[in-house]
Amino acid sequence: MKKFRTLTAVVLASFMAFQMAGCGGTSEQPADDSAAAEENADGTEAENTEGKLVWATNAEFEPYEYREGGEIVGIDADIAAHIADELGLELEVADMNFDSIVPAVVSGKADVGIAGMTITDDRLENVNFSTPYVDAAQAIIVPEDSDVATEEDLAGLTIGVQLGTTGDLYVTDIDGVTVERYTKGFEAVQALTQGKIDAVVIDNEPAKAFVDLNDGIKISNDALTTEQYAIAISKDNPELLDNVNMILSDMEADGSLQAIFEKYLGSVEVNAQ
Amino acid sequence: MSADTIIKVKNLQKVFGKDEKMQTKALDNVNIEINRGDVVVVVGPSGSGKSTFLRCLNLLEMPTGGTITFEGTDITDPKNNINKQRMKMGMVFQQFNLFPHMTILRNLTIGPTKLLRQSKAEAEKTAIELLERVGLADRAQSYPNQLSGGQKQRIAIVRALCMKPDVMLFDEPTSALDPEMVGEVLDVMKDLARQNMTMVCVTHEMGFAREVGNRVIFMESGRILEENTPEEFFENPKNPRLKEFLDKIL
Amino acid sequence: MLETLNDKLYLNFIKDDRYMYLVNGFITTIKIAFFAILVGLALGFTVAIIRSAYDMNSEQRRKGLSSALLSVANGICKLYLTVLRGTPVVLQLLIIYFVIFADINVNKTFAAICAFGLNSAAYVAEIVRGGIMSIDKGQLEAGRSLGFSYARTMIYIILPQAVKNVLPALGNEFIVLIKETSVAGYIAIEDLTKGGDIIRSRTYDAFFPLITAGLIYLAVVLVLSKGISILERRLRTGER
Repeated sequence: MKKFRTLTAVVLASFMAFQMAGCGGTSEQPADDSAAAEENADGTEAENTEGKLVWATNAEFEPYEYREGGEIVGIDADIAAHIADELGLELEVADMNFDSIVPAVVSGKADVGIAGMTITDDRLENVNFSTPYVDAAQAIIVPEDSDVATEEDLAGLTIGVQLGTTGDLYVTDIDGVTVERYTKGFEAVQALTQGKIDAVVIDNEPAKAFVDLNDGIKISNDALTTEQYAIAISKDNPELLDNVNMILSDMEADGSLQAIFEKYLGSVEVNAQ
Repeated sequence: MSADTIIKVKNLQKVFGKDEKMQTKALDNVNIEINRGDVVVVVGPSGSGKSTFLRCLNLLEMPTGGTITFEGTDITDPKNNINKQRMKMGMVFQQFNLFPHMTILRNLTIGPTKLLRQSKAEAEKTAIELLERVGLADRAQSYPNQLSGGQKQRIAIVRALCMKPDVMLFDEPTSALDPEMVGEVLDVMKDLARQNMTMVCVTHEMGFAREVGNRVIFMESGRILEENTPEEFFENPKNPRLKEFLDKIL
Repeated sequence: MLETLNDKLYLNFIKDDRYMYLVNGFITTIKIAFFAILVGLALGFTVAIIRSAYDMNSEQRRKGLSSALLSVANGICKLYLTVLRGTPVVLQLLIIYFVIFADINVNKTFAAICAFGLNSAAYVAEIVRGGIMSIDKGQLEAGRSLGFSYARTMIYIILPQAVKNVLPALGNEFIVLIKETSVAGYIAIEDLTKGGDIIRSRTYDAFFPLITAGLIYLAVVLVLSKGISILERRLRTGER
């Protein structure tokens, strides 16, 4: 992700200022609401909707967030529920396209973005990230008879990704690759199983889930990158960031974070910051 | 069939409607032979089937029974391609039915150029000659909507004539015209009759029937009730229904 | 403020050549829309002619093979119209790409042209059929009585008048079609909308990429509308 050049803080600040000025009333709303909410009797930081913690995610990302009988479940769902619980807020889920999550958090339409989201420089310019709660990586999925396994192998191929994911950003920067950007990860995998593309680059845990679900494909490389998932929170809301970081470290300390991962993955090594 | 019989109609029937109970008999066992040079005028009250009869002659209405033989060909035979005979049967409609998106000249030449494979120049030459005969040569580049009703109908007649037909069918050609324009159209038709054009004409113009027709036919309820020379037809009608009809209109 | 604007323009369009997402997207959108319109016109007119041939001649037809064929063709056309007009174009696109072409490695743009062309043809067919039906029956009779076949009467006499009458509706259909191609991104085609979306996924700024894409659509639609109104005027001359 180093290839994504950082813009200066000045640019960023003026960017935010423009956003405020440009969008008028709607952008000011979160500020008003949180000010009002701070007077709540329970003393917690209520966010843009009174008594609610709005969680932006993209529920197509097993095992982090996916739908099971209409409910959105998964590692991130449990973490979100835990955080809401600790804050004394009702959790409200906002399921959207992955590439819309950061804008939703920036604009105050959502309080937290928990979506197996990797910390990247570009995202950091727009939102704050909590301490990471797990290490992750990009994986390559290919047909069973394919030898493609390394970044070099990908050159000249047609690669499916999910729009706006680190996989998308990573593959876009490889010369000679034709990138097909699907809105949903499973559509990229479906295009692969139908022989329309050569490989899919996607986060390792969902990759495992996709390979389990579909015959004829395999993971040829599950450590294309190293990255860390964290929770995206608006830069306008440092209190929430502090609270979330506190809750995450508590969860780590008391083993509840580990328990959530084990529930979905069996045994794993959770990142200790 | 004599040598100069051009159309022979035998036991012609036309029933409208598919449902048995709703059916109406428009033509009931019509028989007639039309010879070259005949000017047959068909009269009768409205709903008598005279227009249906005329439209059956070139299969604009498909007969439900009987046969029509045109120049020796049974055109009611399903295997027959009617388009060939239609080129030889000019048709003039009550509502003119000129093609509004074409100039008058194009209205007149589209048939000859596309169907008779005439060259454009050849077709236009014929068209202009005929336009001159009906006194409308100056309107060649006009569009139909720029003409009066009488002019339109004269053009419609010329359009049919440009195909050099063997017979002309007229379906109430003056009924949609303002009274002052009827004369100019009838004049063209009279002119045609003088040149020995075979004509079948459905009309309410009794003067025309008397003056131009050599055979006049009275139809009612889908049947031919009387056929005669104009003199006998008007002076000495035999069928009581015809007498009644003539009393009403004359 | 001006500096901010510059920065945002740089971020959204210049940095990493991001404007190319819009340029390529525009080309793709135009390509899909253009060929889909051609498919829509060709197929739409065919369906309209079959449908109106069936309707117009129902009273007159003789029994026989050609009549039976026409009935079958009419039935197929009706089914086609019902299904294509009764389901969303996005679904049709997904079905064509992921179901019908499931095991065929087909060019995605081709799949999109098929989907949008087939969809548009259904609307074109009904528009044109309405135009054909609006032409006085006497025009058909006049053409047929000269000796033209049904098909040639259609081509020389009925369709030129019908098309002129429905040109505004057809133009409207083309405009709708161009905008509908914006769902091509569902099968990972990088059209204009998707191009804006990709920039948005990189910069997290919704305003500039989306507004710019919108303005490009608007420009295309305005050009098309202008073209159609010129054509309309040209066809109307002489008729009065």
